[in-house]
Amino acid sequence: MLRVSSIIALLGCLAICSTALADEATEFFESKIRPVLIERCYKCHSQEGNAYKGGLTVDSREAIRRGGESGAAVVPGKLEESLLLDAIRYESYEMPPDGKLPDEVIQDFETWIRMGAPDPRDEKTVPTQERAKAEIDWDVARQHWAFQPPQPAVLPQVQSAESCQTRIDYFVRSQLQQNGLTPNNPADDRTILRRLYFDLIGLPPTAQQAEAFYAAAKANRTEAITQLVDELLASPHFGEKWTALWLDVMRYAEDQAHIVGNNKELFFPNAYLYRDWVIQSFNNDLPYDEFIRLQLAADSLTPEDTNDDVALGFIGLGPKYYRRNAPEVMADEYEDRVDVVCRGLLGLTVACARCHDHKFDPIPTEDYYALAGVFASTEMVNLPLNEEVEVEKGQAKNPEDSRHVIRDRDPKDLNVMIRGDVNTKGELVPRRFLRALTEHDPQPFSHGSGRADLAECITTSTNPLTARVIVNRVWGEYFGTPLVRTTSNFGALGELPTHPELLDDLAFRFMENSWSLKWLHREIVLSATYQQSSDIIAEKAKVDEANRLLWRMNRRRLEVEQWRDALLSVTGQLDASVGGKSMNPENVEEHRRTVYAERSRFQLNPLLARFDFPDPNAHAAGRVQTTTPLQKLLVMNSPFMNAQAKQLETRFAELEDNSARVDALYQTLFARMPSEQERHLALAYLENGNWHDYGHVLLASNEFVILD
Amino acid sequence: MISRRRMLQAAGGGFGLLGLAGALDAAGVIANPHVVAKAKRVIFLFMNGAPSHVDTFDPKPALAKHEGQQPSGKLYKKSSGSGFMPSPFEFKAHGENGVVMSELFPNLAQCADDLTVIRSMHTNVPNHEPGLLMMHCGNLQPIRPCLGSWASYGLGSENANLPAFVALSGGTPVVGPQLWSNSFLPGEHQGVAVDTNDMNVEKLIANIRHPSLSRPQQRQQLDLLLQLNQLHASQRQQEGILNEQIEAMELAFKMQSAASEAFDVQLENEQTRQMYGDTVFGQSCLLARRLVERGVRMVQVYYVTKGSKQPWDTHSNNNDGHRKLCADSDRATAALLADLKQRGLLDDTLVVWTGEFGRTPYSQLDKKKDISKAGRDHHHTAFTTLLAGGGVKGGFTYGATDEVGMHAVENRVHVHDLHATILHLLGIDHTQLTYRYSGRDFRLTDIHGNVVHDVIA
Repeated sequence: MLRVSSIIALLGCLAICSTALADEATEFFESKIRPVLIERCYKCHSQEGNAYKGGLTVDSREAIRRGGESGAAVVPGKLEESLLLDAIRYESYEMPPDGKLPDEVIQDFETWIRMGAPDPRDEKTVPTQERAKAEIDWDVARQHWAFQPPQPAVLPQVQSAESCQTRIDYFVRSQLQQNGLTPNNPADDRTILRRLYFDLIGLPPTAQQAEAFYAAAKANRTEAITQLVDELLASPHFGEKWTALWLDVMRYAEDQAHIVGNNKELFFPNAYLYRDWVIQSFNNDLPYDEFIRLQLAADSLTPEDTNDDVALGFIGLGPKYYRRNAPEVMADEYEDRVDVVCRGLLGLTVACARCHDHKFDPIPTEDYYALAGVFASTEMVNLPLNEEVEVEKGQAKNPEDSRHVIRDRDPKDLNVMIRGDVNTKGELVPRRFLRALTEHDPQPFSHGSGRADLAECITTSTNPLTARVIVNRVWGEYFGTPLVRTTSNFGALGELPTHPELLDDLAFRFMENSWSLKWLHREIVLSATYQQSSDIIAEKAKVDEANRLLWRMNRRRLEVEQWRDALLSVTGQLDASVGGKSMNPENVEEHRRTVYAERSRFQLNPLLARFDFPDPNAHAAGRVQTTTPLQKLLVMNSPFMNAQAKQLETRFAELEDNSARVDALYQTLFARMPSEQERHLALAYLENGNWHDYGHVLLASNEFVILD
Repeated sequence: MISRRRMLQAAGGGFGLLGLAGALDAAGVIANPHVVAKAKRVIFLFMNGAPSHVDTFDPKPALAKHEGQQPSGKLYKKSSGSGFMPSPFEFKAHGENGVVMSELFPNLAQCADDLTVIRSMHTNVPNHEPGLLMMHCGNLQPIRPCLGSWASYGLGSENANLPAFVALSGGTPVVGPQLWSNSFLPGEHQGVAVDTNDMNVEKLIANIRHPSLSRPQQRQQLDLLLQLNQLHASQRQQEGILNEQIEAMELAFKMQSAASEAFDVQLENEQTRQMYGDTVFGQSCLLARRLVERGVRMVQVYYVTKGSKQPWDTHSNNNDGHRKLCADSDRATAALLADLKQRGLLDDTLVVWTGEFGRTPYSQLDKKKDISKAGRDHHHTAFTTLLAGGGVKGGFTYGATDEVGMHAVENRVHVHDLHATILHLLGIDHTQLTYRYSGRDFRLTDIHGNVVHDVIA
């Protein structure tokens, strides 16, 4: 008993002693630590405040010890392992970000952790890690409009059904009607003619083509338009015009932003083979789904076909960053690939999920790494163009002798990189498709890198985005304003379509019509909506100034490609040959179309850059149009423009009669005769001025660059 | 220079029917400064290749004590030289507050009381390309707009007849055009690149003059154009985009004379031109002063030459190299500060002098191991940046590196912090100057950056 009681007494003493110690420790915590945590940390790191930055909360003992995405914030007794200390010392993170804590406070934290980090605060809620992670209710998430498969719509009833020309018109007019608006009258022959030429083939009609159309339209306008549309769609220049859009989407370029010395090993001297493939695909009306499949996985879909192989330039011409092969640099490259595929083809900003779950869309960071793994399993290669080429380790020794494509390497899944840091590994994620776009749990990709599986997921007719995204891009080119203005973001932060039923109906029928882009183009340009005039009617403008409802056609400035091509065309210099290597569009000796311009990641050609050409270092969702005096300096003074003016002068030099020359210029440039007033102004100017400077004025005029 | 109209277009709004007013004004998106703007404009002097901090503004007498010792701890790259190498240059305190600099800056020493010397700079990697991109764009890969483009986007130009952002350089620096790239910002925010090897105005600015027409002749030509365009617009209900084009043309005509005058350093007197030094960098600094004086928001001046894309990259002959480079840079920089001050411009013009990182306090030797030709390697964990004017303290030294200049240890300033501070001085909260792109709001400092309030007067 004695022994027992003495043990009890001993225990009692221990208990009392430890209580005394605990009180002291708690006192230290309450006086020195808790107030600092509350004041300087809780705002971003507390369960109570619902603030989970970096997955970290510090308002309970368990939470602060468990830590956030980077690991334990506090490890009792271990200063080295307590990340919180690193952070407040500004050694790793710099916390609090608005100013370092005073040194004595930092010392208090050291003391506290050395004491074993006594902390009386029990956790009241669920563990932080799980709360910090996006909890996505997938059934709800998939309700987002763009994740619903497009449906064919029932044609709305409209008052003016007899003048509807395609299904498009019913949808547009229904919304106009609801807002008390009516569509504009059809545009006149000249406007339609120029609109169709520029939009379908990117070139102005010649004076002869204009005359032929006017004559045909006089006989039967509808038939003349339809016939012209079919002719233009069949033209080899159709593919050239529309390839520009695709080159923006896939950030086509022939070099790299980082050039070390004169090292051109990472360049793509034969990138043009890809461009030619795109032109031919558009000309041949290759179905869009097949167009995508080949660009992602031609090597496994048509392994024998070296012509299709160059389609892999979609990935194979991507940026190669400085110090590539370093893990953190490759992680940046994967982001480019995921981005071009997801924003470019799906209208989803998946790359946002590289460092954290997507803030607005149901895209957890695992989904990003599931796709990044596909590109980590893919390598960029220079394969020999033919059998004579010198080869080293399976690749052409000289990039000049190669096509720039991709092949599978040993497939590997990636670990989530926590906060995007290559050195902080999270769970391993199998390569697979996005969960939000898959009905059940997505299955791992099973073929090699998974590119072919990925292509299949993107082009299956149940994918709700692919058709909508391309239909919307094409629409935007015609009307100047896409139906969904955020062309590469159909997520929660993207805009809603102005005409949702129309977008769905077009997307659905586009797929029904074998993903035929020419079908889509035809459907759009044959609509009354497209063919209406661009006149501004004051009463209508009062209701819908921005013309979101399409009561008129938008006036549009020519893109730099159309503009330069038009200059070459009217001066009689255009070299209309299709395909081939790139050229410098500013060089006055170069007469090929602007789609063949060099696109440089290092230095964009100044002529292109001046007119809003997108930076080819990343996917471009669309072009922003700016109007600047610097553009006009180029138009007024550049050697390039003066060379065009000189050519124009030469072209009509044989016409001796001033009035006849003015007529010829107007017919050639604008497909019309000058008005009396215009003729008068011309002749008055020519009394002192010369033909060179006069022609220059016409080339610099608004009528030349702005399409009605 | 982004107008309301163009904002709408940037958002994909197509061509609206907004009135003409303001269609081409030069204002930025920030209507009211977020904070009091102490600087109206910035001149960014860039020493391409990275100056050595321990030979310029960060004296390390302890290097003599440790001479020949190899650096310890984790290094980005193994030291291949003779170990720590003291600077041969004498350091002295200057001005009322005793700002210390090496003997290589006799002229700048006279401006000591105008300088803030940040000795505790650090960046992410010691490679030029990513280092340059970090210093310019706040990102290691070339997919973000640069500081000047952000400033142009935020604040526009003070002078509608001149571009908001100009990059002056006597050759192409490493990385090149990405350093003044607008990236995803609208094209008007790209820096206008000017090669200052030939200071003849017509060589400096592309298309500044018609090849043959005199000004009155060109006016006559443009009058015809104006009449035709007005006739055209009158048949089209004066649509906004038509008038915008007309206005841009008229502005361009004005810009020809405004820019011709602004870019012509020959209009300066001989004494002023001499003060800056008869070098490409010196005359570029003079041109920078002329431009900011006339309302250009941001001027980058690169210290590069026709022969070298990064002259400050002294892997060998560090000492001789710095002697020569500093002589030029010292003279021009001091002249710029004095000139701005004398014109009353220094108070609201921020001048930044920096490289992309620093150089190792230990030596780098080539295969011959000749110590007399020793160089210094790239070094990113410590370097020095100078600030002057534009609301920063004068005669102030901020932050410190360790005993041998290996690491910034006290009041560390990351490049993001420098950016945040520059924007702050311009009246911009760096967290609020954003551009919606690719599904989220981007900013110069990404998710980083703290304003270094301590350096602000």
